[in-house]
Amino acid sequence: MEGSADQATQAISKLSMDSTAGASDGAGAGAQSKNALKKELKMKQREEERKRKEEEKAKLAPKASSQSQKAVAADDEDMDPTQYFENRLKYLAAEKAKGINPYPHKFSVSLSIPEYIEKYGSLNNGDHVEDAQVSLAGRIMSKRSSSSKLFFYDLHGEDFKVQVMADLSKSELDEAEFSKLHANTKRGDIVGVTGFPGKTKRGELSIFPRSFVVLSHCLHMIPRADNLTAKKPENWVPGQPRNPELYVLKDQESRYRQRHLDLMTNIEVRHIFKTRANIVSYVRRFLDNQRFLEVETPMMNMIAGGAAARPFVTHHNDLDMRLYMRIAPELYLKQLIVGGLERVYEIGKQFRNEGIDLTHNPEFTTCEFYMAFADYNDLMKMTEDMVSGMVKELTGGYKIKYHANGYDKEPIEIDFTPPFRRIQMIGELEKVANLNIPKDLASEEANKYLIDACARFDVKCPPPQTTARLLDKLVGEFLEVTCVNPTFIIDHPEIMSPLAKWHRSSPGLTERFELFINKHELANAYTELNDPVVQRQRFADQLKDRQSGDDEAMALDETFCNGLEYGLAPTGGWGLGIDRLTMLFTDSQNIKEVILFPAMRPQDDPAAAKAPLQPETNKGE
Amino acid sequence: MEALKVWSVTATPLKQLLRLSSSSTRLATAIYGRRSYHSSPALRCAAAASSSPSNAATAETSKPSGRNRRAASSSNSTSDREAIRSIRLKKVEELRGQGLEPYAYKWEKSHSANQLQEIYKHLANGEESNNESDCVSIAGRVVARRAFGKLAFLTLRDDSGTIQLYCEKERLSDDQFEQLKAFIDIGDILGASGSMKRTEKGELSICVNSFSILTKSLLPLPDKYHGLTDIDKRYRQRYVDMIANPEVANVFRKRAKIVSEIRKTVESSGYLEVETPVLQGAAGGAEARPFVTYHNSLGRDLYLRIATELHLKRMLVGGFEKVYEIGRIFRNEGISTRHNPEFTTIEMYEAYSDYQSMMDMAELIVTQCAMAVNGTLTIDYQGTEICLKRPWRRETMHNLVKEITGIDFSELGEDLGNAKDTVLLALQDVVEPKDKSGIGACSSLGHLLSEVFEVVVEPKLVQPTFVLDYPIEISPLAKPHRSNAGLTERFELFICGREMANAFSELTDPMDQRRRLEEQVRQHNGKRAAAAAEASEQNAKKDDDDDDESYEVTLDEDFLTALEYGMPPASGMGLGIDRLVMLLTNSASIRDVIAFPVLKVQQ
Repeated sequence: MEGSADQATQAISKLSMDSTAGASDGAGAGAQSKNALKKELKMKQREEERKRKEEEKAKLAPKASSQSQKAVAADDEDMDPTQYFENRLKYLAAEKAKGINPYPHKFSVSLSIPEYIEKYGSLNNGDHVEDAQVSLAGRIMSKRSSSSKLFFYDLHGEDFKVQVMADLSKSELDEAEFSKLHANTKRGDIVGVTGFPGKTKRGELSIFPRSFVVLSHCLHMIPRADNLTAKKPENWVPGQPRNPELYVLKDQESRYRQRHLDLMTNIEVRHIFKTRANIVSYVRRFLDNQRFLEVETPMMNMIAGGAAARPFVTHHNDLDMRLYMRIAPELYLKQLIVGGLERVYEIGKQFRNEGIDLTHNPEFTTCEFYMAFADYNDLMKMTEDMVSGMVKELTGGYKIKYHANGYDKEPIEIDFTPPFRRIQMIGELEKVANLNIPKDLASEEANKYLIDACARFDVKCPPPQTTARLLDKLVGEFLEVTCVNPTFIIDHPEIMSPLAKWHRSSPGLTERFELFINKHELANAYTELNDPVVQRQRFADQLKDRQSGDDEAMALDETFCNGLEYGLAPTGGWGLGIDRLTMLFTDSQNIKEVILFPAMRPQDDPAAAKAPLQPETNKGE
Repeated sequence: MEALKVWSVTATPLKQLLRLSSSSTRLATAIYGRRSYHSSPALRCAAAASSSPSNAATAETSKPSGRNRRAASSSNSTSDREAIRSIRLKKVEELRGQGLEPYAYKWEKSHSANQLQEIYKHLANGEESNNESDCVSIAGRVVARRAFGKLAFLTLRDDSGTIQLYCEKERLSDDQFEQLKAFIDIGDILGASGSMKRTEKGELSICVNSFSILTKSLLPLPDKYHGLTDIDKRYRQRYVDMIANPEVANVFRKRAKIVSEIRKTVESSGYLEVETPVLQGAAGGAEARPFVTYHNSLGRDLYLRIATELHLKRMLVGGFEKVYEIGRIFRNEGISTRHNPEFTTIEMYEAYSDYQSMMDMAELIVTQCAMAVNGTLTIDYQGTEICLKRPWRRETMHNLVKEITGIDFSELGEDLGNAKDTVLLALQDVVEPKDKSGIGACSSLGHLLSEVFEVVVEPKLVQPTFVLDYPIEISPLAKPHRSNAGLTERFELFICGREMANAFSELTDPMDQRRRLEEQVRQHNGKRAAAAAEASEQNAKKDDDDDDESYEVTLDEDFLTALEYGMPPASGMGLGIDRLVMLLTNSASIRDVIAFPVLKVQQ
């Protein structure tokens, strides 16, 4: 709750807090705990602080009205936001008192706005189709009037807009009713209009309402575009650069914390999430077409296996059982291959109890698939087909534009034309960094050599300095940075890949690849290790790393190992990060751009973030 | 398929093997508990048994012709397993010694078993198809094995079905036949290629000219009979269950098909798939005990979602008109044949529609799924015939209660005490004592109606029924009914006495919503305080955490703020996918439709 309440105290929605505080004051003052009261007090203080700032800002804000039509909204949109909200509440209360339900149950839409545009977009300027009757619904994003008898609205729905030209002479209402209705209709309201189609003399497709009803009220002011002639964002398509700095609502915190406002005002954002749905749908179709079966494996595990990461811990009360949120579905999916399903995949959330940054959210979405009788060579081919095919389908070509260096720099171009470059990890590292790494990577000697190498190149590797971690840092420094266009880094050492099969021809290495694009790992796959004896040995080695302080080393899962003893067919396994792929397609440098409700730091109380754990609840440590 | 009988008894021959190698129970115990095949006593035993690998193989897989079929007792079977494991590990070594990798990297198969059965349906008994195009390759698990002097039959099972391998010594290259006899055990995964033939006995077979061991199995295949008695193991080691009972996989195939059909149905109606967070600052959208976890770097508690509702409604505020999410929901509650702590639902929301049109959607989804997996709308569920033909009965909760109990709630009056007396009197012969106390505890007429409905009516709703117009007190997120005060525009779908779906015309009035959620919090805190008081009276026997009501319920301010920006009139529905899969696969327990269900900690 804390977080949630905190999130609400937010520049744009701040008004709501007053009502919260007020309402809960009235409702249950007696029952409130001291804490709650304190919290409330704090919130009020913050509120007042913010209100003051907002008022100052409002005074400074330029009054934008370059339109020929008078912006009637201006009178109340210059109002103090709190006053605005209270006025709206009063209006609704008055309506209710008159026995009017301001939130109707149903409005029958006869056409969606895009359908309407398609059907009537070709009318000639000045044409009216007075005998047609159409019902449209949507949100009013702009309101203008030229007199109390004529109002213009922009009605938005499903990324499109149509003009509503409310003319008293076409309305079923008398003049008093008409002007009262439209005086009380505000920007942001959701309305249903029934009327006839037509185009204005200036060529604007409009609807001329006979009836006009507000379906839901917007009680707050919503952000307004500084310049209504700004570029039309609905033209954006996947693979093209974006510029969120031109958005109507720019403030990142507000956009992520109040996604509904972001989606409402920045049409492009809706396209990001449609693109995301299209990506997931493409992956699913690709795998379904190859007879893969979609399955679901547990998100709560007794052992968090299948990857190296710190898990979330929770507790099942009734069973009195400690459970971990999954960090990867790998071990379960392989058990299903043992069980006889030859091709399975799962698209779902993974959870890692790690810091939040531009490419990490505590929960993220992956697709993992497992394919019996295939190896990592087959999977590289499939990856090329899938990823390049997706780029082609979503963008129309193989090249995308991406602001890899920030929105103020020119976007780079990423070329997905298959085949993708392949570089052998150790060989390429030796070549690029001019190294000669001892062949036995598990040896002390190799470890020492790599510690020296890191020191020489000033590559930081915080302890524990295991060989696997040292290599990882060097690869990051020398190889990953070269992987802008899609590149497979292949044949990782065994010590870095406890679940991958030893290479059929290069001792000490595994049959594994990672796909890098724009220097970030997008996919990870290998020929699966299916020799149970070797697998147990690898887990034992991981245990050693764990004992030497690497708390991300993998734990042994006995049920999984037992499954291998029943025989896991030769299998290729593959994982892809859906969020990161979506970032590429949508020119997003921040993972929060592609997650509807990203995890956010508690906003206003840095002290709370560092507060000591409360003893009575179940914690991660 | 005579051969299939063979593998069902593989657990027993090991006892013979142990007898053969004159091992005592003591030795068997020594084998058990050692993981490494380098251990000495075990190795001696195993080495003795397999010094001649073909002997070992014969010993392990020879068929005691149906006798001794009774499952080995558990202690013995464990040591049997360890002995077999040792022998097979030895084979792994020997294969490697011969330069053969017992864990192959890949196999190109040209067909699945089922495809071959289809393509070569026409082959007559004894007929062989020898064209170049009839050279096929296949891969799968050996589930039966019979070897004679110069001939061996293996039955191979893959994802699609089974097929026989006909292995003649002359047709195989070099010493492959000897290899087959010496190294291949039931359970191994094999790749084989050859031509097609139907044996004189009518069994379609591949005449093998070459094969490759793809994966050497170390453990004997589970015994079918044993497997059935050990229900718990079926769920703990699902792969054992699936190997022993191939039909189990069909449930998961049907499950995938159902989910895919649901997705197809809603997407063709224009719904967009979205993902909302599992980890939340406040768990809202339902009344249930949430799981709590802790995020280290944020330094705060997070709750696992108990519903997707509130976030999805925010999408409608944001301007999406039709959204859905298929995803996992978590509730920190007891497990049963109908409850798993994590389960899958679809929740869907559509702007400008109401609960009437959602009923059509529910019918559409369920019938499409039924046709997709069963090809019929008349299904059998645990012995009861269910008819899913549309339209389904739609009846109000008031009328259903009246119909079954004779109580007309619209005539009960406003006095709760009187109403309870009337109800208890009317139901005195029908309800059990615990239900009576449940009725006594009801805090409003709405709760009372709902309680009577749950106790008396629900179990009787076998054929698909939409129950309409729930009391407002128990429906904090539903819109007030447009014509009946005190009720909401809400329905639940019942099939076989179970709730399958829950839907409403969504409440869009932010003031009303705030009041209702505050009331919910107030009620919860009241119960919580009462439970705490009771607990302290009982001398605090239990930890506070164990009380049903000890978790915190809070307002989701983000959701309420979003409503203040205006949500279009909309309807929404949640449908339990696990329960739908149970219904359509005739599964008695939710554990049968979840691949890896949560189980009690093993003793």
